[in-house]
Amino acid sequence: MSKPRRPSPVLVLRVPSGTEFLATIRDTTQRTARLAGCDAVLAEQVALAVDEASTNVIEHAYRGARDRQIEVRFLLTAGELRVEIVDDGAPVNRRALPEVDLERYASERRSGGLGVHLMGRIMDTVTFRRTPHGNVCCLVKRLGAGGELP
Amino acid sequence: MLLYPSGFINAHTVRVFEEALQEAIGSGRFRIVLSGQGLRYVASAGLGALMGVIEEVRGNGGDIRIAELNETVLNIFEMLGFNHLYRIFQSEQEAVLSFRDGAGGGRTDA
Repeated sequence: MSKPRRPSPVLVLRVPSGTEFLATIRDTTQRTARLAGCDAVLAEQVALAVDEASTNVIEHAYRGARDRQIEVRFLLTAGELRVEIVDDGAPVNRRALPEVDLERYASERRSGGLGVHLMGRIMDTVTFRRTPHGNVCCLVKRLGAGGELP
Repeated sequence: MLLYPSGFINAHTVRVFEEALQEAIGSGRFRIVLSGQGLRYVASAGLGALMGVIEEVRGNGGDIRIAELNETVLNIFEMLGFNHLYRIFQSEQEAVLSFRDGAGGGRTDA
């Protein structure tokens, strides 16, 4: 039996790891999500989830270094939009989505974990894996009928 | 005090937003209305900035009330439960007036 073929990325974006490039990632994600069939609100939400994942790369995997690379791969398979955010930075041990208690966060002036929590609320699945080349955060949003590139 | 953030608040732009909040608090203005009519989206960095000051603001008898959010931003607030932590109004005027009577109910149906 042949192994299922891994879908080819429809678009790959590679940007430096400065926060000024988050807008580029956001805009590209929003447009790609629209092409994939997401409505305007969902496309903005997916863009936000990818912004959060990219921010995590900058802050945690690259620890604020601006001279590294973030690769964002957009893949469309039947009925889903998959976005992979790839870095070659330090291992980030994140196996589970955090629970967030807002009242406690406010009283402790915390905000860590809020971004990952948000990613989990927006996307259908959020997974993290470590490869020999670095970290991969995979965000998947299932699409309704017509969610295909023209 | 009215604040009008515009565009998007994320890890790159959050410092400007934090400075605006700190400026208000530093000058003793604890009744703050955040009018989101020009706000396209808010990432967790912006939400974290709000959470970072809300205890101090309320501890001084004030509040941060939010108005005129677009659908995307309102959805984000609701997803995270911020509509339970902050009073959200349809219009800026309602948010401002809520400080006057002290009883204007927060709404999330903007």
